[in-house]
Amino acid sequence: MQDQIRTVLAAHGRMAVDPREVDDQADLYDLGLTSHASVDVMLALEDAFDIEFPDEVLKKSTFASVRNIEQVVEGLVESAA
Amino acid sequence: MITVPDEVDAHRVRIGCDVQDIEHVQDSLAAFGDRYLRKIFTASEINDCQGRNQVHRLAARFAAKEAVIKAFAQPTMPFPWREIEVTRDGPLPRLRLSGTLAQRAQHQGWLSSSLSLSHAECHAMAVVVVACSPAESE
Repeated sequence: MQDQIRTVLAAHGRMAVDPREVDDQADLYDLGLTSHASVDVMLALEDAFDIEFPDEVLKKSTFASVRNIEQVVEGLVESAA
Repeated sequence: MITVPDEVDAHRVRIGCDVQDIEHVQDSLAAFGDRYLRKIFTASEINDCQGRNQVHRLAARFAAKEAVIKAFAQPTMPFPWREIEVTRDGPLPRLRLSGTLAQRAQHQGWLSSSLSLSHAECHAMAVVVVACSPAESE
């Protein structure tokens, strides 16, 4: 799952570094992710995992690290199953 | 040395600002189309932005939503973008909150707000100023 998330971040995150090579707990905002780019990341994750991000996870911390994204996506995939 | 108070006439003041790259909004619109619009903007905002300068107007509204989020100063809380709406009932843009954000604004003692939007060819920006009741609670 992390590989898919990193691929989405590389395509839509507009980050200053390659997200495929960052620590899974590194702060993505410090690495150049913006709030607007996180919208694109969210929409691309919805496509990649066939999920929908509900209002309650629309917070800054959801996209703060690869690990955080993974935890939220895992929960949404499980609840959609 | 003094600590400058964040009050005006005993009313606490909150402020938020944001700037958005027009090209990024254009790219999101091209990549995700209606899904991007419906995830971020209300039907009324989408309607207000139709026509010439659509992308600039959308970018200014996204900046306004981010400015409002900063004014709340609660980075760990969820911020559904569509609960923050920019309206154009008159000559000036106005702020309308709904749902959980309207409740949180009430809890923080928001009394009134002033919103300013602007854009150039490459960027759009927004500033929001909020006057809160003196007995603001977090």
